[in-house]
Amino acid sequence: MICRPALSRGSQLALRRQGAAKLAQRGYAAVASPKASYEPTTIAGVKVASRDDNGPTTRLAIVAKAGTRYEPLPGLTVGLEAFAFKNTQKRSALRINRETELLGGQLNAYHTREALVLQANFLREDLPYFTELLAEVLSQTRYTTHEYHEEVVNVIRQKQAKLDAAAIALDAAHSVAFHNGLGAPLYPTPSTPISSYLDENSVAAFADATFTKGTIAVVADGASESGLSKWIEPFFKTVPAQPSSALPAAASKYYGGEQRIAKASGNSVVLAFPGAALGANQPETAVLVGLLGGESTIKWSPGFSLLSNAATAAPGATANATNFAYSDAGLLTIQINGSAGAVRKVAEESVKALRSVAEGGVSQENLVKAIAKAKFNLLSGSEVSGTGLVHAGANLIHGGKPLQVAETIKALEGVNADKLKAAAKTLLEGKASVASVGDLHVLPFAEDLGLKV
Amino acid sequence: MSVAPSFYNAVSKRPWLANMLKPLAGWYANAAGYRQLGLKADDLLVEEDEAVLKALGRLSPKESYDRIYRIRRATQLSLQQKILPKNEWTKAEEDVPYLSPILAQVYAEAKEKHALDTLTVLKKH
Repeated sequence: MICRPALSRGSQLALRRQGAAKLAQRGYAAVASPKASYEPTTIAGVKVASRDDNGPTTRLAIVAKAGTRYEPLPGLTVGLEAFAFKNTQKRSALRINRETELLGGQLNAYHTREALVLQANFLREDLPYFTELLAEVLSQTRYTTHEYHEEVVNVIRQKQAKLDAAAIALDAAHSVAFHNGLGAPLYPTPSTPISSYLDENSVAAFADATFTKGTIAVVADGASESGLSKWIEPFFKTVPAQPSSALPAAASKYYGGEQRIAKASGNSVVLAFPGAALGANQPETAVLVGLLGGESTIKWSPGFSLLSNAATAAPGATANATNFAYSDAGLLTIQINGSAGAVRKVAEESVKALRSVAEGGVSQENLVKAIAKAKFNLLSGSEVSGTGLVHAGANLIHGGKPLQVAETIKALEGVNADKLKAAAKTLLEGKASVASVGDLHVLPFAEDLGLKV
Repeated sequence: MSVAPSFYNAVSKRPWLANMLKPLAGWYANAAGYRQLGLKADDLLVEEDEAVLKALGRLSPKESYDRIYRIRRATQLSLQQKILPKNEWTKAEEDVPYLSPILAQVYAEAKEKHALDTLTVLKKH
């Protein structure tokens, strides 16, 4: 270990402190709250949403319109995801990874049903490097045959092996709810015949069709706008403006129905109803999700939420409500996982809980708690867990505006018991989508639960 | 590391030398005898090597099949102390490197990996 001279150490500290002071500095007249919403702009033909809280790290993501909804052949999205950060014309995959490690960055590629996200998390001053890297991955990846056989296929197989009953049930519920498009599985199961569709050439063709300026959005959290406009313009020159062939995209339609899949390990039941789309003015759905809840937010108690109370009736199962919001449709799901007997019991209790909401059995106190929970879900989602990044990008590539936090919060506060009751009633009167995966001898049919399919 | 020790790069940079040596190279390849057994020069690369095995794995199914066919035919001929009829000998224009470009790529990857594994980070501050 080499000790640095005391003088240099002192000057280093001083420098660092000065930088920190600059970051934290705020004039008395400046607005106190950090900008919670992403600001949309267009830089050199690329849609950009950015938010800057002057923190020391940056999250930069490319959100491409290449989710499973838009894949022309099964498996292409997962193929494209696995090909992210592989050999490019300029450098090898190994070099990309080692250089990123040296800069202390993290690279990540994942997908949702609508978007493929290539994300880099790094220190604020490394913005030029990672902007160049992401643009290079978009336009100059080589999609080589040997990488496909040596790496991509194995990664896909490993991820397929990890699919559990919960993931399969959620895919099945989407499949009966939307059939094509949004109904395509988020991750194809090992029994899905993707090998006849998926190879390096079909992935490269899909990349050509989706990695264009019109179908991607750059989302930056913690990068200055001047930096973005300076670096995006030169590096994204290589990204084509228009795809050679546009991808088909039909509007989503809700069908509903029931699907039952036998599986030896794990049990899961998903009860799904039409939910709120991205940017739809349906605050009651968010409040209903808050009220149904599932995971307790306090220790040693099931809390107030209806589903966690329902789950106490049968130990060994957990229930959770989520609204999956997509650009033109939404799916409100109640997912129950656990041992078969407990899942059956909790599924029955969950439907009872939903029915009690539809009959107006929600106390004022619980309503206040549910609204508070909905607000927290919204804010923590956009701040902490990073879902805000994906949502902002997904909104941009579909031509909408990023989530306006202040307005949405106001809408949530306006929800009253009557609205909630009406919303729950519509859900129960419409067609549900029910998926059961696991021990089918025990798991209930939708009919037994009292749901229409 | 290179695929095989060769003066090729040094010679090809000097056209006069390349032109002078070309007939000699053609004569040497014919005299080496592998063409009379229907083999290509890249079939002679030693297979018992990690890098070559990796490169062989990257051949297309058709190339891989053809390679095995040529090697089996040559083995059989060698066993019978025969050579192919003259019209079936490998022609000079067919004797193209199909494996060595891939092998060079594999070596380049290993070299890059070694360089990255042993690099020294110089801190700016």
